[in-house]
Amino acid sequence: MRIVDELREEFRTALAGARTIAEVDAVRDRFLSRGQGRVTALVKSIASAPPEDRRTLGALANGLKQEVEDQLASRATELQATAPIAGAVDVTLPGRVPGLGRRHPLTLVRERVEDIFQSMGYQVIEGPELEDDWHNFEALNMPPEHPARDMQDTLYLAEPVKVAGARPRTLLRTHTSGMQIRHMESHQPPVRIVAPGRVYRRDNIDATHTPMFTQVEGLVVDEGISLGDLKGTLQAFADRFFDGKVRTRFRPSFFPYTEPSAELDVECQGCGGKGCPLCKQTGWIEILGCGMVHPAVFEAVRYDTEKYTGFAFGMGIERLALRLYGVDDIRMFYENDIRFLSQVTA
Amino acid sequence: MKLPLLWLRDYVDIAANAKQVAARLSGCGFDVASIEDDVLDVDVWANRPDALSVYGLAREAAAAFDLPLKAAPGEGAPVAPVGASTIPVSIGDAGCGRYAMATADVQIGHSPPWLAERLAAVGVRPINNVVDISNYVMLEMGHPMHAFDVTCLKGPEIHVRRARPGEKLTTLDGQARQLDETMLVIADHDAAVAIAGVMGGKDSEVSSKTTRIAIESAWFHPATVRSTSKRLGLKTEASARFERGADLTAPVRALQRMLALLKSCGAGQASGPVADIYPRPAATKQVPLRRDRIARLLGQSVPDADVTRILTRLAFRLNAAPEGWTVDVPPFRVDITREADLVEEVGRHWGFDRIPATFPVVRAASPQPSPGVLRDRRVRQALVGAGLQEAVTFTFIQADAAAPFVPEGRSPLAIANPLSEKFAVLRPSLLPGLLDSLAHSRRRETDTVRLFEIGATFDQSGERAAAGWILTGSRAAHWSERDSPLDFFDASGLAAVLGGSFGISLHLRPLDGRPWLARGRGAALVLGDGDAASVGWVGEIQTGLVQARGLTAAEQVFGGEVDLEALAAAARDRSSAIQPLPRFPSIVRDVSIVIDERLPAAEVRGTISANAPSTLASIREFDRYRGQGVPAGQVSLSLRLTFRDAERTLTDSEVQQAVSRIVRALEERHGARLRGG
Repeated sequence: MRIVDELREEFRTALAGARTIAEVDAVRDRFLSRGQGRVTALVKSIASAPPEDRRTLGALANGLKQEVEDQLASRATELQATAPIAGAVDVTLPGRVPGLGRRHPLTLVRERVEDIFQSMGYQVIEGPELEDDWHNFEALNMPPEHPARDMQDTLYLAEPVKVAGARPRTLLRTHTSGMQIRHMESHQPPVRIVAPGRVYRRDNIDATHTPMFTQVEGLVVDEGISLGDLKGTLQAFADRFFDGKVRTRFRPSFFPYTEPSAELDVECQGCGGKGCPLCKQTGWIEILGCGMVHPAVFEAVRYDTEKYTGFAFGMGIERLALRLYGVDDIRMFYENDIRFLSQVTA
Repeated sequence: MKLPLLWLRDYVDIAANAKQVAARLSGCGFDVASIEDDVLDVDVWANRPDALSVYGLAREAAAAFDLPLKAAPGEGAPVAPVGASTIPVSIGDAGCGRYAMATADVQIGHSPPWLAERLAAVGVRPINNVVDISNYVMLEMGHPMHAFDVTCLKGPEIHVRRARPGEKLTTLDGQARQLDETMLVIADHDAAVAIAGVMGGKDSEVSSKTTRIAIESAWFHPATVRSTSKRLGLKTEASARFERGADLTAPVRALQRMLALLKSCGAGQASGPVADIYPRPAATKQVPLRRDRIARLLGQSVPDADVTRILTRLAFRLNAAPEGWTVDVPPFRVDITREADLVEEVGRHWGFDRIPATFPVVRAASPQPSPGVLRDRRVRQALVGAGLQEAVTFTFIQADAAAPFVPEGRSPLAIANPLSEKFAVLRPSLLPGLLDSLAHSRRRETDTVRLFEIGATFDQSGERAAAGWILTGSRAAHWSERDSPLDFFDASGLAAVLGGSFGISLHLRPLDGRPWLARGRGAALVLGDGDAASVGWVGEIQTGLVQARGLTAAEQVFGGEVDLEALAAAARDRSSAIQPLPRFPSIVRDVSIVIDERLPAAEVRGTISANAPSTLASIREFDRYRGQGVPAGQVSLSLRLTFRDAERTLTDSEVQQAVSRIVRALEERHGARLRGG
C-alpha cells in the first residue's frame, strides 16, 4: 500500500535527522502521539477502510507501528550511550607532575661507589680541597723535585692560607690521596676508608679533561694485607659497579706512593672485549690505579712498616660516569644543561 | 719511547711479532700506545729512565720472554784507551758527578742508510753522521752525549761550573737564553758553551766544516737538570733522561760505542785517549729481599727459582742470605732503593694475573661516615625532594664574576698559575657558577630552571661548605592553570626546606646593600630573631648580573645560599624527639589588621608572640592585601591564630580575651587598626 510506504519513508528521514534525545522524542510525538501521531492515525484508519483492504492494511499499519517503535528505542539507546557524562574528565590530558629534582650524575656515581665500599666495611671520610705540600706530595713519597710531580700539574694559591696549628695551605689538591695521610696521622690500624672529593689539575679543557674532576680514594691498612686482597676487593667492586660479573685485569704501573703499583682494566662494555674505538681496539678500559702502600708513606705517618701492610686505590668518577651513561664528552657534566641532567636516572 | 722490533732483535732473539711483544711488555708494566710498521710506541713511567732506550726495553723483553740478553753496546774491547785528556777538563760543581770526554777527527757527511733509516723509524731527523751517531747511541743505550767543534772552543778547554750572573748563551735551537747561578753549564776558557744535560750552544755546533770534535759523555745530577730545564722552559731528549736519573757507569761505555760507530761508519776516528773524571765512584747498592716479604706483599709465595730467574734476567745479582737474598742493584736502576721495589720486580714479571684474588679480613666495624658526608647527603635529599636539579660547577671562576660576592675591602682567594682568566680565583659564593649554568639552559630553550649545588666556597681564611640554589621561570605549568612565575618566596621557601632538614627554622631579615641582590628583595638568614650573624641569604639576583650572562632585563632570577657548617653546628644539640600529638581540640581565630606597608611581618609576629598566652600554638599569615579600602602606604595583613592547651579544652571566652589583648598590643606598638570587623 503506497500510503504505508510513504509514511515509512517519511519516518526514516525524520529519524535520520534526529541528533539528540530531545529530537528523537519530537519524532516520537510526531508519529506516535495519541492525538495527532501520523502512525496512530494510520492505525485508527484501519476501521474505516473498505472491508476488502482492511486485513492487508491492518497487517501493514501494525507492522509499521512496531517498526517505528523499535527504531525510536534503538536510536534513543544509541544516543544515550554517547551522551556526555556529568562530571567526566578527559583522562588523556597530561597529569600535573610535581617538580622533579634529581641528583647530578657525578653524585650518583660517587654515591654508588661509596655505597659499595660502605657495604664492605669502609668509612667514608672527607678532607680539605686546599692542601699543603706535605699532605699532597711529600708524605706520599714525592719530595720536591720529584719527577712524578710533573704527572700532576698543580694549581697553586697566590697567597698561602694560614691554618691555626697546621701547615699553611698552598695548593689545590691534585688527588684525594692526601686524605690517606691525614687519616693515618690521626688513626692507628686497622684502617679501612674511602675518601671522595673534587681534585684539581692544570689541564686544558677537552673532551677527556677538565681542570676540576672527582676522585674516590680507598685505603686499607692492617696486618697481613696483600696484593691478592687488593685484587679480590677491586674485582668485587667492579662486579657490583657494573652490575654483573665483569672480566678484569691487573697491569703493573707506577705511582710514587705505592709499590708494587698496578692499574685495573675492565673488559670494554662497548664491544665486549673484541676491540672498538672506545677502548682503542684493546678490548680493555682502564678504570683505576692502585697498589700496595709504599713503605715511605707508612714511615711518613709513623706506622710500623714491618707489622703493617696496606693497599690503596684511586678512581676518577667522571671516567666511570662516561662509561655508565655512554657519554663521550666529559664537559657535559659541568655544563649543567637541564636537558642533559633531566635524562639521568640512577 | 719508539721501539722498532728489528732494532730490539739486535739484543734479544725474539721470534714473536710486534703485537705479541706489545702484550708481554704491557703485562710487565710497559704499555704500548700504538704499533705502526713494527714500531712500538712504549709508555715509560717517570721512574724508569733506564727503559728510555732500545737496550733497556730489550732487557725487559728478555725477562718477559725468559730469553738471554746480548752484551750491552760499548762493552768489550775499548776503541780508545782511557787516559789523560787531550784538552784540559775540570769539574767545579757537585751537580756533575762524572765527566768523560774523547776527541776525534771527523769527516762530516751523510750517515749510512741503515743508521739513517733507524733514526727515521723512531722519528729522529738525520742531520749529519756525527750528530746522527750520537743520537743513535742515546736511543740505543739511553745515555745522552754532546759533540763540540773543538776549533770553536776557546782554550780549548772544558769547565763544568755554575752559570755566572747575567751570563747568556744561544742554544742549538737558535734561542738566546738568559742563564742564572742555579744552572750548571759547560764552559770553555771564556764563556758557557752548553747548558749541562739540556742543550748545547749554537757557536760550538758541529757543522759541515767541522774537522775535529770533542765528545762529552757526562753524568749530571737529576735535580739540577730538572730545575734548569724548568726555569728555561726547555725540555729535550737529554734533559728527560738526566732529570730522571742517568746511569753513572754509562759515560765511558757510551763514548766507546760512539767511537766504534764513527769508525765503522767512516765518519772519523779517536784522536787521543778517553778522559774520565769521576771523583766519587758510586758503590753498588745492596737491598735485602726476604722470601716471606714477597709472600706477604703479593699474597702468594714465589718459588726461589723464579725469583732468581726474574731478577737475574733484569741484571740484578743475588747473594744468598738467611731469609732470602741480598740483591746487588745494577747502577742504571735508580728506582730500586728498598725491598718493596724488588717485590714489585718479581711480581710484575711473575704476573699479577697469577696472584689469587682474596678478600681482606674485617676486624672492626666501620665508624659512621664523616659528619660532613652525612650533612651533605641530608641537604641534597631535602633540595632534590623540593624539586631542584643538582648542578656541579667549577670551583674557580673569573675575577669579575667573583667581585660582587666579595665583601668590600677584601679580595678573593687567587690562583698563582691559573689555566686562564676564566679560572683565576676560587669562588667566594656558589652563585656565580649557578648563574652561568642557569643562563646556559635558559639560552637553550629551557624556560624554567631550578638548580642547586653543594660545595666549597673560599675566602682568605680558607674553605667552607655551602649550599646554593637558583631559580627562574614558572611553577610547574599545567594546561588547567595560568602560568605563575617563580618569585622571591619560592627562593625563601627553599631556605625553610633546608633549615627544616636540620630541624631548624631560619628567620629572615631584610638585607640591603649587597651588590648581587636587587634592592628591597633580599633577606639575611639568621638562626634566631636577635642574632647578629647571618648564616646565609635569599633574594632576587640583581638584573645587571643576569643581563651580563646574555639574558634579558625581563628575566627574574632568584637565589639563596647557606653556610652548611654553621647550620650543622646549630643543629648539633637539637633533640630529634617527636612531640606527642595534641589530645584536645584547637580554637582558631582570624585577625585582619591594617598596618604601615614597611612593617615586616616578622615584627607583627613578634608582638603577637610576646603578648599571647602560652596556649597560642601557631601564627600563620594567610593574606596580604593592598588596594581598595586600604589607605595608600598601608597594607591589610590577615593572620590565623591557633590556640590549644595540652591538658584541657579551651573556652571561647578565654581565647577571645587573648585575641583582644593581642589586638591591643598591635594597636599600641604598630598603630595597627582592626579591619572589616
